[in-house]
Amino acid sequence: MNHIVDIGAWELAAAYLLLTFPLAIILWYRIPMLGQTVISLVRMTVQLLLVGLYLQVIFQLNIVWLNAAWLLVMVAVADVSIVQSTSLRLRRIALPVSLALLAGTVVPLLLFVGLILQRSNLLDAQYAIPIGGMILGNCLRADIVGIRTFYEGIRAGEKPFLQSLADGALLHEATRPYIRKACQAALAPTVATMATIGLVSLPGMMTGVILGGASPVIAIKYQIAIMISIFSGTVITLALGFWLTSKTSFMAYGVLDRTIFRNAPKR
Amino acid sequence: MTDETNVLEARDVTVRFNGQMVLRGFSMSLKAGRKAVLTGPSGCGKSTVLRCLLGFVTPESGTVLIDDTPLTAETVWNLRRRVAYVGQEPDLGGGVVREVLERPFHYRANASLRSNLQRAPEFLETFGLAPSLLDKEAGDLSGGEKQRVALVSALLLDRRIFLLDEITSALDPASKGAVAEYFRRRENVTVLFVAHDAERFSFADQVLSLRGPA
Repeated sequence: MNHIVDIGAWELAAAYLLLTFPLAIILWYRIPMLGQTVISLVRMTVQLLLVGLYLQVIFQLNIVWLNAAWLLVMVAVADVSIVQSTSLRLRRIALPVSLALLAGTVVPLLLFVGLILQRSNLLDAQYAIPIGGMILGNCLRADIVGIRTFYEGIRAGEKPFLQSLADGALLHEATRPYIRKACQAALAPTVATMATIGLVSLPGMMTGVILGGASPVIAIKYQIAIMISIFSGTVITLALGFWLTSKTSFMAYGVLDRTIFRNAPKR
Repeated sequence: MTDETNVLEARDVTVRFNGQMVLRGFSMSLKAGRKAVLTGPSGCGKSTVLRCLLGFVTPESGTVLIDDTPLTAETVWNLRRRVAYVGQEPDLGGGVVREVLERPFHYRANASLRSNLQRAPEFLETFGLAPSLLDKEAGDLSGGEKQRVALVSALLLDRRIFLLDEITSALDPASKGAVAEYFRRRENVTVLFVAHDAERFSFADQVLSLRGPA
């Protein structure tokens, strides 16, 4: 197998030429997202350039604590992104969500690197950062859907929720139908992806491994392992997310504390 | 527990929502087997009283007691198991009526009472509903049918204290009569009715009138 072909600066600039088509279509139909698209493109370019340079340094140094610190930064950014995507107050759920994300990312990551790849350095930058990033990215997507569906579900369906408490349910029994619904919504994309993977599209990790010069057989083994890790991490994050956030989101008598919502008046 | 013990009690309860007074110094007590009707104009805090008694609303001041035990974060889970509550315009959730009635028995507190489900057809008939309703989608029921199914669900839990919030508001006169007659005969249960038509429950031992916090 050949090693990956580098892309020169001019060649990369040529990739931007492709944007002529989508931007022309946006302008032609006057789709009201031209500014947003341009800002996103600029942000993507700047962010990736900075991250690329930073990761280059991290990969060269490959110091365990620095790699761990980078993973923590990724978790913190994901945490803020989740809370901002829900209608919940940052201060109230940021810590429980970050702990859930951390566990959902680190547990499958360490098993992947240690058990599957048999690396002695569990936080080897070459493996821990890209694999951790893939698991975390999926946990992030699932958590946004899961946390939002869970809390909005209880807020919208307060009557049956209170009725279940009145009927003698403990808090974990009363929240179970809402957790079930939130998990279904959050896990559906991952489950659907697993069912069609390889048939509809070549997944990111497999593509990366092939482009890196490995054979497709090696690539599918990586892909299978990452899909299992992603699914496990997502479920761990969701379960811990519901459990940990519920510690600060429900009042002592089991009623949802509405002050966790940004649009509710503070106590 | 003696007959003279208060099974339901509120002592000088004050509730405020978003700075607005809803209940001011509300007090009441009800002994075992007694029935009371709570009346008053809309918005005067009748439902809030029931929500306080269930721990759904935390009073700013005052105490709520059930079976002479103060309702606290520690005791609420046990005390709720002694109370049956039927809310206004009940939301029965999805599924057929049989599933709606089975739902509370999935909770650990009620697991040992599961055999009570056999009485569901009998209770439905008591309130003028056909047992065939058990296989009907709960979402397809009329308002009056929903109220009666919610009442049957509460009765199946075999509690001794009932908190009933406008449970006959969507019923025809015959069904209202059946509900009132049922509770008139149940001498061993304690009931707090919230109702606009207090005369329907003329057998009640007490009528509590709320005028609002002003």
